[in-house]
Amino acid sequence: MTRPTAKEVKAIADVAGVPVDNEAAARIANSIGPAFDGFAAIAGTLQFDLEPSTFVVVQTSKAAR
Amino acid sequence: MSSEPALMSLTAVAKAIADKRVSSREATQSCLARIVRWQPHLNAFMAIEAEEALKAADAADTALAKGDRRGPLHGVPLAHKDMYYEAGKVVTCGSRIRGDFVATTTSTALQRLKNAGTIRLGSLQMAEFAYGPTGHNSHYGSVHNPFALDHITGGSSSGSGAAVAARLTFAALGSDTGGSIRMPAHFCGVTGLKTTVGRISRAGAMPLSQSLDTVGPLARTAEDCAVLLTLMAGADPEDPTAVSGPVPDYAAATTQSIKGLTIGVPTSFYVDDLDADVAGALEATIAAFKREGANIVAVELPDQRQLSAAAQLVLAVEAAAFHKRWLIERAQDYGAQVLMRLQNGLAIPAVNYLEAMRWRGVALAAHLAAVKGVDAVIAPVSPVPAPTIAESDVGNSPDAEAVIQRLTRFTRPINYLGLPSLSIPSAFTRSGLPVGMQLIGRSFDEATLLRIGAAFQRATDFHERVPQLP
Repeated sequence: MTRPTAKEVKAIADVAGVPVDNEAAARIANSIGPAFDGFAAIAGTLQFDLEPSTFVVVQTSKAAR
Repeated sequence: MSSEPALMSLTAVAKAIADKRVSSREATQSCLARIVRWQPHLNAFMAIEAEEALKAADAADTALAKGDRRGPLHGVPLAHKDMYYEAGKVVTCGSRIRGDFVATTTSTALQRLKNAGTIRLGSLQMAEFAYGPTGHNSHYGSVHNPFALDHITGGSSSGSGAAVAARLTFAALGSDTGGSIRMPAHFCGVTGLKTTVGRISRAGAMPLSQSLDTVGPLARTAEDCAVLLTLMAGADPEDPTAVSGPVPDYAAATTQSIKGLTIGVPTSFYVDDLDADVAGALEATIAAFKREGANIVAVELPDQRQLSAAAQLVLAVEAAAFHKRWLIERAQDYGAQVLMRLQNGLAIPAVNYLEAMRWRGVALAAHLAAVKGVDAVIAPVSPVPAPTIAESDVGNSPDAEAVIQRLTRFTRPINYLGLPSLSIPSAFTRSGLPVGMQLIGRSFDEATLLRIGAAFQRATDFHERVPQLP
């Protein structure tokens, strides 16, 4: 998982149906880059069998309370 | 009893009204008199409904005289963040886009407080669409901190923090998606409860992120928050994500000692790069817990930066999806910073978003394992006390997101984990600014947080300090 470039941001926003100009694309890439960096160690590592609703299962488990 | 009813706590004024020592009209007039004096300095209210409030107060007094007490908060005047729908009322959500939106339904949380007998003073300012942690609002102006008018209140529940601190309302609803209750509570010196995801129905509350949004109160004391939570919590057919099952008596929990409870202190992240006043407040709060009989232990939490990153991915995408139609049709009607932040979500691929969602249960399990045997974790709400309005007015500058992320770095991980967190006033800086600490609990264990908060407030007086007009 690598942070998107301004050019990639522009393309993704176009596909999403909300086009942005080059300046906005550069700003977005700068803003969300750290989130991509921060999550990079997790992305692509998750087990297959997490569903359904792992969060709710953990949240309501005895250990959580 | 205070000669000014507005200075009483929610619990105290509700009892005084029930005992007919104070009338609802007197309580309402007292709040309205303070609102008249403070509003020009704070900009805390979006709408003030004095005439209707007094009429409702008179009706409450008449009903009580006939023995008809509607509920535990009979005749208590309140105002809430302007994002809780009330049928027939304009609900701006702090925005131009919804500047003339009239709600056709009433939010469950608000309705439950109305059922308990509360009456409406008006509505409170907020960040546009609850998407900003500072208290700036480019449409309706910044809200000012009652303890230092040139400083921020924090957001997005900016008006709620300022109005509760200045004793303009006995309590207020806020909402917390990334810190929006805890930040204003910390900066304004009030008590704020971010509830567990699922604890209070979100039906009729403006959405920002369906996975992270929570409803909760800001009030003067932990006891007041407990009373409000007991009234609002529980299942709701209008919102199946609100959990079923019995609602604890949270107020009863606030009377218990904390002797023997175990409070964890993180060994990293939450103790790194703190302002000296915040670091001092953390140490002093831990010392107070020790004096009250709590055991203090060090806890090593999983990497909070990863949680924070995941929270940012989830929030950005969900907010952008909610706003997509307006991003296409009315982009010019957003404030520059909110537009910029909403656009961020457009650039995150669906697979990345879903990975961030899929990891949530795994991350919560890891957190729970790390805090095994610990009743609550203490941490600062923010590394700094309230900055000035001018220095934090970053608009849509290239550094804006980085500034926002720094301010909220101690709150976002908790939203991602969906955990409850109580912010309590814990100190004042040498320059007179409030500092709050958050108590982070286990899922659905608000009772323990309120118990610890109440014990701290019995031993200290930070929550009783009333700001003075310059």
